[in-house]
Amino acid sequence: MLPVIALAIAVEGAALVCGANIRGLNSGLIRGFVFLGQMFPPDWSAFPELLGPAFDTIIIAILGTFFGTIISLGFGLAAASNVAPRWLRRLTRGMIRIERAIPEIVILLFLVAAFGLGPFGGVISLTIGCIGMLGKLFADAIEEIDPVSIEAIEALGASKFQVIYYGVLQPVIPAIISFALFRFELNIRLSVILGAVGAGGIGLELYRAFSLLDYNRGCSALIITLALVFITERLSEYLRSKVRLEGALR
Amino acid sequence: MIEVKNLTKSLPNGRKLLDGISFTVNKGEFVGILGASGAGKTLTIRCLNGLLKPDSGEVIVEHDQGVRRDICSISKRQLKKVREKIGVIFQGFHLVKRLTALENVMIGRLGQINSVRSLVYGFTDKEAEEGLAALEKVKIQHLAEARVASMSGGEMQRVAIARAIFQNPNLLLADEPLSNLDPSNAKNIMKLIQPLSRDMPVIGVFHQPEMTAKYCTRVIAIKNGRVFYDGDPKLSDELLIEIYGEELRHLEANFFPEVQAVPITFTKNKPELHDRPNLSNL
Repeated sequence: MLPVIALAIAVEGAALVCGANIRGLNSGLIRGFVFLGQMFPPDWSAFPELLGPAFDTIIIAILGTFFGTIISLGFGLAAASNVAPRWLRRLTRGMIRIERAIPEIVILLFLVAAFGLGPFGGVISLTIGCIGMLGKLFADAIEEIDPVSIEAIEALGASKFQVIYYGVLQPVIPAIISFALFRFELNIRLSVILGAVGAGGIGLELYRAFSLLDYNRGCSALIITLALVFITERLSEYLRSKVRLEGALR
Repeated sequence: MIEVKNLTKSLPNGRKLLDGISFTVNKGEFVGILGASGAGKTLTIRCLNGLLKPDSGEVIVEHDQGVRRDICSISKRQLKKVREKIGVIFQGFHLVKRLTALENVMIGRLGQINSVRSLVYGFTDKEAEEGLAALEKVKIQHLAEARVASMSGGEMQRVAIARAIFQNPNLLLADEPLSNLDPSNAKNIMKLIQPLSRDMPVIGVFHQPEMTAKYCTRVIAIKNGRVFYDGDPKLSDELLIEIYGEELRHLEANFFPEVQAVPITFTKNKPELHDRPNLSNL
């Protein structure tokens, strides 16, 4: 009984602090529906001119994922105990942990100060944003490799470089592709959000249309965004199932 | 030729894993190393190509132009050089499974080519031809373009042997090459390894005395980290029992035809019901 009372007091307290109340929820919901009504019908004529920004968003996500995967692979190798020395592993694991704590938007805000507005900052912040997640996932995948398969390449008298390529990278390639595709799904969504903050693309159009109260145009941008997210998710899922099939054969 | 002198290796707690192993193997010999699990067979073979550093002892191998080197005391760079000429066949195959059979065979010469070249343009046509010839020797040239991941254990072990052939080594080591294979595949693999001993010393760790008796020219048995027997590959029943322990007597007769089966007798004092802990009292 006691936990229930405590929970009720906590909820009520939280609602008081942030000024939430049932009446507000009620009127807000009604306003929301009115707003939704104002959005329809979408502005069909806006579609052709919105395709360009949508394309920008995709490009930002693709480039960000591409460079992010490559850099994360470096971090992953440097953070794996079976490849890197202890001090390097600690250092990179620490850097990965710090990166994971920083949201992409914060990185972008820094970059906007440095490079100004535009897709360039978006690509860089998505690239850096990959490190926190992919770096750790890659490092863990590399650490799971059977040590004997690395020894087998070493036993041939191969150089460190060759050992890493044949003994370490080859076995984890399916995992790398699969994680990168998953990150690409996230990056499409992040790319939309970053667009509104300054990276351009469909996110900016979305933000601009709603700020100018041009709800019909906003609705068009929203539909394009939804289609974008939906299609990339299905595509990435399909590709990952292909990779998994290959992984199962290993 | 490979000369092993007085290898020792102990655990930090003082338990001796290898206790003065010595033997010499010459070109033309196919030596099978036998011994119970934990006797030190795999440790010995890992010392022979520097994957494991013994506490003391020497492993002297002949490198190019008759230069003799002690694997246990050379620098990393020299070890790499020596390893280029030591072929190894592993227990679990340990091929690069995403690559094709031919690519895996060509990996055998990684140590002999520049690392930049191995990444940028790979192997030459001449090397590919030699690789195919190696696959032909183990009779799987039709699988050259197939991914190793899609192969059976017997086929993978053939690829591993082809890799060792392609590597063109001065010494071939095999760590339990038959352990993942069915009896008829095991026989075929032995038939492929045996002729290689004409050109180089071949040393393999085996768990099958009937196989070493048939194909090896010499058997070394290791017991408690020491060379217990070194000589003719056909071992008597008594010797086998000494190597593997008394339990061998109780195995079924047809597993080791030369060992006579002794019926297993049950002890008289079978645990009675009242010997078991009575759960209702807990």
